[in-house]
Amino acid sequence: MEFYTCFDRKRPVRLDDATRAFAWESLHGKYGQEAVRNGAIAMDGEEGFAALPPLAQYDLCIRRIAERAPLRLVPGEHICGAATLGAAMTHHVPATLGGEPVFYSVSHVTLGFDHVLTLGMDGIAQEVRSCLNNPDFTPEQRALDESLLSAIESMRIWHGRYLEAIGETQPEMRARLKRVPFAPAQDFRQALQSLWFTFAFVRLCGNWPGIGRIDQMLGKYLEADLKRGAITLEEAREWLAHFFIKGCEWIEKDTPVGSGDAQHYQNLVLAGVDEEGKEVANEVTYLILDVVEELGISDFPITVRVNPRTPERLLTRVAQVMRHGGGVLAVYNEDLILDSLAQHGYPLKEARRFANDGCWEVQIPGRTNFIYLPLDALRALLIDTLHLDGEPAHFDSMAQLYAAYDAAMRRVVEDACDRTLRDRLDGDGNFRKKQPCSVVSLLEEGCAQRGRSYHEGGPIYTVVSPHIGGAPDVGNSLYAIDRLVFQEKRVGFDELMRVLQRNWEGAEALRQYALNRITYYGNDCDEADAYTVRVLNDFAGMTKKYDGGPIRFPTGVSTFGRQIEWAPFRAATPSGRRKGDVLSGNASPTPGTDAQGATAVIRSFCKADLKRQVTGAALDVKLHLSAVRGEEGVAALIALIRGFVALGGYFMQLDVMDAEALRAAQRDPETYKTLSVRVSGWNARFVTLDKQWQDMVIARTAQEI
Amino acid sequence: MKLPVTRIQRFSTHDGAGVRTVVFLKGCPLRCAWCHNPETQRMGREMMYAAGKCIGCRACEAACPRGAHLFSNGAHVYDRSACALCMACADACPTQALTPAAQEMEAEEMISIALRDRAFYGREGGITLSGGEPTAQGEAAVKLLAMAKAAGMTTAMETCGHFAPALVAPLAGTVDEFLWDVKDTDPARHKRYVGVDNAQILRNLRALDQYEVRIVLRCILVRGVNLNTAHARAVRELFASLRHGVRVDLLPYHPFGSQKGEQLGREGGGRTDWIPTREEVEDFRREAGL
Repeated sequence: MEFYTCFDRKRPVRLDDATRAFAWESLHGKYGQEAVRNGAIAMDGEEGFAALPPLAQYDLCIRRIAERAPLRLVPGEHICGAATLGAAMTHHVPATLGGEPVFYSVSHVTLGFDHVLTLGMDGIAQEVRSCLNNPDFTPEQRALDESLLSAIESMRIWHGRYLEAIGETQPEMRARLKRVPFAPAQDFRQALQSLWFTFAFVRLCGNWPGIGRIDQMLGKYLEADLKRGAITLEEAREWLAHFFIKGCEWIEKDTPVGSGDAQHYQNLVLAGVDEEGKEVANEVTYLILDVVEELGISDFPITVRVNPRTPERLLTRVAQVMRHGGGVLAVYNEDLILDSLAQHGYPLKEARRFANDGCWEVQIPGRTNFIYLPLDALRALLIDTLHLDGEPAHFDSMAQLYAAYDAAMRRVVEDACDRTLRDRLDGDGNFRKKQPCSVVSLLEEGCAQRGRSYHEGGPIYTVVSPHIGGAPDVGNSLYAIDRLVFQEKRVGFDELMRVLQRNWEGAEALRQYALNRITYYGNDCDEADAYTVRVLNDFAGMTKKYDGGPIRFPTGVSTFGRQIEWAPFRAATPSGRRKGDVLSGNASPTPGTDAQGATAVIRSFCKADLKRQVTGAALDVKLHLSAVRGEEGVAALIALIRGFVALGGYFMQLDVMDAEALRAAQRDPETYKTLSVRVSGWNARFVTLDKQWQDMVIARTAQEI
Repeated sequence: MKLPVTRIQRFSTHDGAGVRTVVFLKGCPLRCAWCHNPETQRMGREMMYAAGKCIGCRACEAACPRGAHLFSNGAHVYDRSACALCMACADACPTQALTPAAQEMEAEEMISIALRDRAFYGREGGITLSGGEPTAQGEAAVKLLAMAKAAGMTTAMETCGHFAPALVAPLAGTVDEFLWDVKDTDPARHKRYVGVDNAQILRNLRALDQYEVRIVLRCILVRGVNLNTAHARAVRELFASLRHGVRVDLLPYHPFGSQKGEQLGREGGGRTDWIPTREEVEDFRREAGL
């Protein structure tokens, strides 16, 4: 029972054998298999179901799920509750009519779980009921709040079934569950049970929420328990381990390959300041790092909020965990993000609450409806500006070319925003009706008060974030044209366009020159980076005209894995890439172009004014394990993080990997079942990625020494 | 002040304390049979030709004023005897199959490149001079190190230790940490495989050890040459005798230098029988008391 590490020392063993065995079977798909077999609840027998209004249909689906979903009690588990319906893993409410799911579910959201701990579900129900007293409410608003109460009652049914199933066999667990999540948690164990049970119910109903700031939520309970001697750190570590292990319940034995299996967005955030500006990091923070260091669980991708005052102890532990690979930990540059949110108009106290959306985009948890719009800037250059799919355009200067690209990209952005506005708002500027999602609306502040759902302007903030993808390739392409055509006059503009249309056929020497003799983004070369920086900064201003409306349109930078889907719709690039090549991911250098090491990559990235990318800008840095050997390795990782923060980075995924091990895993997937890699906002077990994704991960240069 | 630089490697984590920028300078008084960086041995210009990268575009042929590049039946023949090392071909080559082994670089430029990573250095990190043998540049190396210190960086130097005794004092004043190569402790073998015996090297080491510096001994381990108990014990004694020894690093031989040797048009090197096994390295470590 050895949990994979790419490091030359084994993972430490601190947890007891039973906990480790529980982790092993969960990571190897025992519970995911069960869930897949369970599928969904069929609504076909419900009389008159089809004739019900959508909200009533939804309420009934949730009710039946709560009544009928199989329960799972694992002997020895410290906390109970399980999302046992496999259809939830397909992004649907796991209830079907005629074999088809009735409703989509919600992700990219982090719910207000903190309220459940402090108020209990009964407290939340009371709040909803007081909202129902609002005399100005329309019937529609009343119906929404009634549906929120119905969700709580369904949860109570599911809760009652667990109480009954536990019976007298586990009196302590039963006593805890009798209290939470309906009443406020009183101690650490109750808090953990309350958080898990609520999270599990939300997932049972098909949704994939992030957890948010778990150490902030749980820290005060643990501190009080430790003080009164009600728990030891060792016991608390076991309990947190169970939380993490149960989070692996959707891992399947043989996941169909694709973009990876572990992307259920149950991200969480550690450390950073609280609303008053005080550091949050506490014993829970460190125990969680212990757990992921030992078990290598990657299903809760963790982002650590780092600032210049972050304790050395915390950074040391972060670096020690990172060395094992798997990309479980990433970092936010907290001060920059707070500036960014403040600049966008969030009050400072509100900004300090930030977490992610279950991926890495920043949002205010429990108060935000969020989606992002993935936009391909390289297509805007190659197709919309240069027209490489037809009669190519001609430009006489870089200024002219850039202006045309800028206009094309602006059209892409405005089209996307306008489409969103048409889709979300009616002619009077009111939110349109969308599919019901009361289980989610329940834990989003604003929904009950406004009598509107999560999708319909209920939450305090509705955020639609255009994300630019391919910016480094746009920058590289522009720089290559500047060098090849205008500065060095190696080829005429029109001739280069024809060469690109021929996919570089017959121009191998020129292509090699473009590939090898021009330095591109990611090498800390100011001239080369300037175009990418300009593309990113100009993009950040493109949504300004939408300020002040009911929907916020802050920008961000990402591709997640879309560089793969986009490849066929692009053309050959002036930087020497052929049509169909998989290019840059997020704001990272194009594979194979960065030769100066991790510090140069970070510096290139940080030249852009990243605080203008309000919902985030991601940099992936993959380090070869030889770079992090020994104690110097810990110091090197800390240095990278500190430097990233000092230079004004936003979000960095530091993954330690061994390309050899990844190739070995391609050949022998059985042996490498638990080897995880950071794909983008999520982690995936490497063997569950299809070949193209695997190759992309390998190709993204591990920064070798 | 210009110096011949073969490479500047940023984010180096194992060449001195913290994150470092390593500047490799060309020129070395030794000729180690196992040299890992053969392009840094000789002073003066050298051309590296990586045949695998040649696409047969004949740009070099067109650029060369002396006919050193010939193409017969599509095969590229580089006639080093005709080459005047003017580098016109390297300038024309689109694939970097042809590259100068080093470029002349101003000291200020090296310092400014190293300073780019200041945000990552913390208190420990900084610049490391390597090579080749940095002291082969004489006073210029000392000046470069002094400039680095003046710019607020810590300094380290990888050295074979074979240099004029007059450099000891100025180096002691400008280098925080020496990464001192111990090629061999047997003088006869040292002469045979390295070209000189180790007397001068040991004298310099003792002299430097009188100053407040940090000294890390770095021992290349070549199977069938110095991978033996006697050498291990001698390393142990040498380290124990130092007042300012920090630690001993063991560097098992690897044959990667041979590829660069080929690109320089040299024969030999790349002996796989020289690669020690993991067990042999561990045995050595034990014998050396590490």
